[in-house]
Amino acid sequence: MRLSVLILEDERPVREALARDLAGFADVVRVEVAEDVPDAWQVVEELDVDGDRLALVLADHRLPGTSGVEFLVQLLDDPRTARARKVLVTGQADQQDTIRAVNEAGLDHYIAKPWDVDELTEVVRDQLTEHVTEHRLDPLPHLRVLDAARVMPLLRERGDR
Amino acid sequence: MPASTYRERVELARPNRLQTVGLLLGAVVFVVPLVVDIPDLAPVGQRMLAIFLLAIVLWVTEAIPLVATAVLVILLEVLMVSDQALVAVAGDTLAADAYFAALADPVIMLFLGGFLIADGANKFALDRNLAGVMLRPFAGRARRTVLGLMAITAVLSMFVSNTATTATMFAVVLPILAALPAGPARTGLALAIPVAANVGGIGTPVGSPPNAIALGALEAQGEGVSFLGWMLLAVPLMLVVLLASWWLLTRRYIAADTPMQLELSAEFDRSPAAIVFYVVAGGTVLLWLTEPLHGISSSTVGFVPVVALLATGVMGGEDLKTLQWPVLWLVAGGIALGAGIGATGMDAWLIGLFAWDRLPLSLLLVMLVVVGLGLSTVISNSATANLLVPLALTLAVGLPIDVTAVGVMIALSCALAMALPISTPPNAVAYATGEVDTRAMASTGLAIGGFGAVLVAFVLPWLWDVLGLL
Repeated sequence: MRLSVLILEDERPVREALARDLAGFADVVRVEVAEDVPDAWQVVEELDVDGDRLALVLADHRLPGTSGVEFLVQLLDDPRTARARKVLVTGQADQQDTIRAVNEAGLDHYIAKPWDVDELTEVVRDQLTEHVTEHRLDPLPHLRVLDAARVMPLLRERGDR
Repeated sequence: MPASTYRERVELARPNRLQTVGLLLGAVVFVVPLVVDIPDLAPVGQRMLAIFLLAIVLWVTEAIPLVATAVLVILLEVLMVSDQALVAVAGDTLAADAYFAALADPVIMLFLGGFLIADGANKFALDRNLAGVMLRPFAGRARRTVLGLMAITAVLSMFVSNTATTATMFAVVLPILAALPAGPARTGLALAIPVAANVGGIGTPVGSPPNAIALGALEAQGEGVSFLGWMLLAVPLMLVVLLASWWLLTRRYIAADTPMQLELSAEFDRSPAAIVFYVVAGGTVLLWLTEPLHGISSSTVGFVPVVALLATGVMGGEDLKTLQWPVLWLVAGGIALGAGIGATGMDAWLIGLFAWDRLPLSLLLVMLVVVGLGLSTVISNSATANLLVPLALTLAVGLPIDVTAVGVMIALSCALAMALPISTPPNAVAYATGEVDTRAMASTGLAIGGFGAVLVAFVLPWLWDVLGLL
């Protein structure tokens, strides 16, 4: 089982830039991109078939036909995606959208465009770590992309063998 | 935040190839002794042999979880070789209670106390604070700092599980690790912690599960070892191997001029609950160390903190729930296995199987150490001890060697296996950090394990004899 990060962004250069900035995670974490919401659900389907786990969604807000916030709300209704951490990466969400994202989608973090690479990677590391500790996953396969000090308590409980 | 109502799906792991082989082979080795007539082995002994062979296959392949095999052993013993056997059998049988009793063996009580104290030390940050205080004299140069870290890790690991010690110490070391330039120094430091945790575990009876397994089996033979007695037998080896490992790791990976800064704050919790805990933990360790003076056995002493911490409310039901019950039950499975082998006449059959006394004694000991070291490199240390200790003690009874020496030697050889990431959980943690590759771990682990095994096989029996410990 690999952890997966899903990037939902309609503009190709932005999507590619995000994926490139997360290249450091790619040998441990499965980084997937989607250009619209149907595409994103397709990715969810593929992850499920492969036995991988959607851990984090980085969504743009303004998308053709729908909104990133709408997608984040939808995620809560599907057992495959309900536990994923949710981050908006946007420059265009107004106050109403943001309030809805926080109250109804359980938004975990907001990154304003243009993003800073170090900030982005720190947020991803932090959110993945939260996901692992919250659901008490085995941290060892993912340790290199996690905040290792924070997952050490999970390891304490294992005991010798 | 809108709470999701979905519960976590429980996924059944699909058996891998090795596990599938384990399940099939397990079924075969279980059935064969039941249908084939084995000369000189009574029917009840044949049943026990079936259980023992099944346990070997399941513990080696991990076709089912280690703890599941342990409880399976107990169940099968009750159903097949006890007075409540489904199909009655001729020959000596133990009461079913005797097999269930393994779950509450005195050595389990000893560990229960050890575990609760270890968890309390973490709860009140005593482990981290002690590390901070103990590290102070070592601050300054890189190699000295590593020596300090290894010494502290080993001392903690004598009382806390090797895995928990590794987790605590990695939390301390990670910032230094991140500050070091990528390269050998990081590898050396990331290896120093698991090595010291593995080696430290041999220092006391509560240091790691194989010690408990050996102690429990020895006690069942009327050859009990006191807490202090174990330390006298094991600590000299622990110190020598620890120093040798430090020398190896620093010469090999850590240049003398490596910049390494480590300042740990030590702010001891002074709340009433913490103070009660310090008193109870300190008192327990003191009672363990002074058994020759008061004569209260270490397992009884181990039950004292359980009562004291629960009665004072310093620790509660939640703390009991988070204890590592699977480890305790795994040890219990080994004790039950030993009891079954002894009660069914399988032990006499094993002795009669081969003219063991024709083999040079030293060769036999070397074989036991090598098998212990080799097997626990690839499978669980506890499972190795569970399988080897009953066999070795059975053989030792007929040989001109102290049974205690054999039991302790097996436990020590299991603890020295650290050549692979899968050898021990501390190794797995170090490997997962990405700072240590398999090659570095294997070469270091083989050197340290090999050196330690030579000491166990050739030097320790002589040393114990000279010091009059046995």
